Amino acid sequence: MTSLLQWLENTSLSTTLRDSPNVFLYPTILAFHTLGLAFFVGISSAIALRVLGVAASLPLAPFRKFYPVMWLGFFFNAVSGTLLLVIEPTKFLTMVDFYVKLLAIAGAVLCNRWLYVRHFRSPAPVDPNPLPPRDRAIAVATLFFWAAAITAGRLTAYDDPHAQWQTALGTAIVTAALLAGGYVSVKSWRWIRAARGARPARHAITQEAHR
Amino acid sequence: MEEVLRYWMRWPSVEHLIYSYLWVWGVCQSLHFVGMALLIGTVGILDLRLLGMAKQFPVAAIKKLIPWGVFGFVLCLATGLLFITGIYANVNIHPYVVLKSDVFLQLKLFFVLLAGANLLLFYVTGMSKAVDRLEAGDDAPLLAKFFAGASLFLWIAVMYFARLIPSGKFQP
Repeated sequence: MTSLLQWLENTSLSTTLRDSPNVFLYPTILAFHTLGLAFFVGISSAIALRVLGVAASLPLAPFRKFYPVMWLGFFFNAVSGTLLLVIEPTKFLTMVDFYVKLLAIAGAVLCNRWLYVRHFRSPAPVDPNPLPPRDRAIAVATLFFWAAAITAGRLTAYDDPHAQWQTALGTAIVTAALLAGGYVSVKSWRWIRAARGARPARHAITQEAHR
Repeated sequence: MEEVLRYWMRWPSVEHLIYSYLWVWGVCQSLHFVGMALLIGTVGILDLRLLGMAKQFPVAAIKKLIPWGVFGFVLCLATGLLFITGIYANVNIHPYVVLKSDVFLQLKLFFVLLAGANLLLFYVTGMSKAVDRLEAGDDAPLLAKFFAGASLFLWIAVMYFARLIPSGKFQP
């Protein structure tokens, strides 16, 4: 197995892509991997946010039109990802983190597919609002898997498993803190705005409550 | 001028943070990509709608997604600022030298500024208000399509050149 990987690593395709200083080879393959990510993960995440209730006035059906864009992004990433794997097969295929990344992508793609089948392939005439809890759970899973895939992908740049674990944990903690902080500040901002905006009516509301 | 830039661009507190914790740089890298995906996902959907894809979307409703794109941009801005001001802790080269010698970093920042200018023009020409009135099936005005196409092109250029930054020339 190792000899097969070494053979792959010594093919002229692998050595050329790896060692050439040409900016249109290795760096451009990396850049295409990023561009594909932006469109695939970005649109998929926007759909997940919509399912969770962001921009609830947005109809679900037209999102269908964006699936080809997402699949184009996925295609970009599959091709560039395969090339990146050919460039350094031993490094990636012997790294646990790389398999974590593949699993996370598989999870995200499956969740994405689930939402497509449930809501976009043959859309309901009227969108349920809010969407069923099961679909919202799938949307949360989609976002989680994408964050995990991005983080695991970034971590392939580190050789030291200790640094990988620390960074993964750090990303989880910082993301959780950002989400919690964002949730609390948006909620309190809305509460303050509602309280200030509704001041003249508040008397009536309390009276209503007392009745 | 060089002295001023050298003073302002290198932040010892950020370097200290990067030296102290193994995970700071990597966490910010992940968040930079997460922010990018949020920005492109939301702004990209709006741009593509204005260009004529998924015309069944009323534009004002799509704009409710945009705060998440702004959040993504802020994530990218904050982490990107850390990369520049703390780069000495990562590669032992002064950020001023990197900014002066890495043409890809210069191109990226230039295209970010262009994307900002494009957004500004989208507002001051009144196009942003005009597209809010577009209901399902309505075609966007030609000028709005121009801004949307420019936005897509500029953000793609930003991402492309950004990914080339590590391959750029770091030394003068």
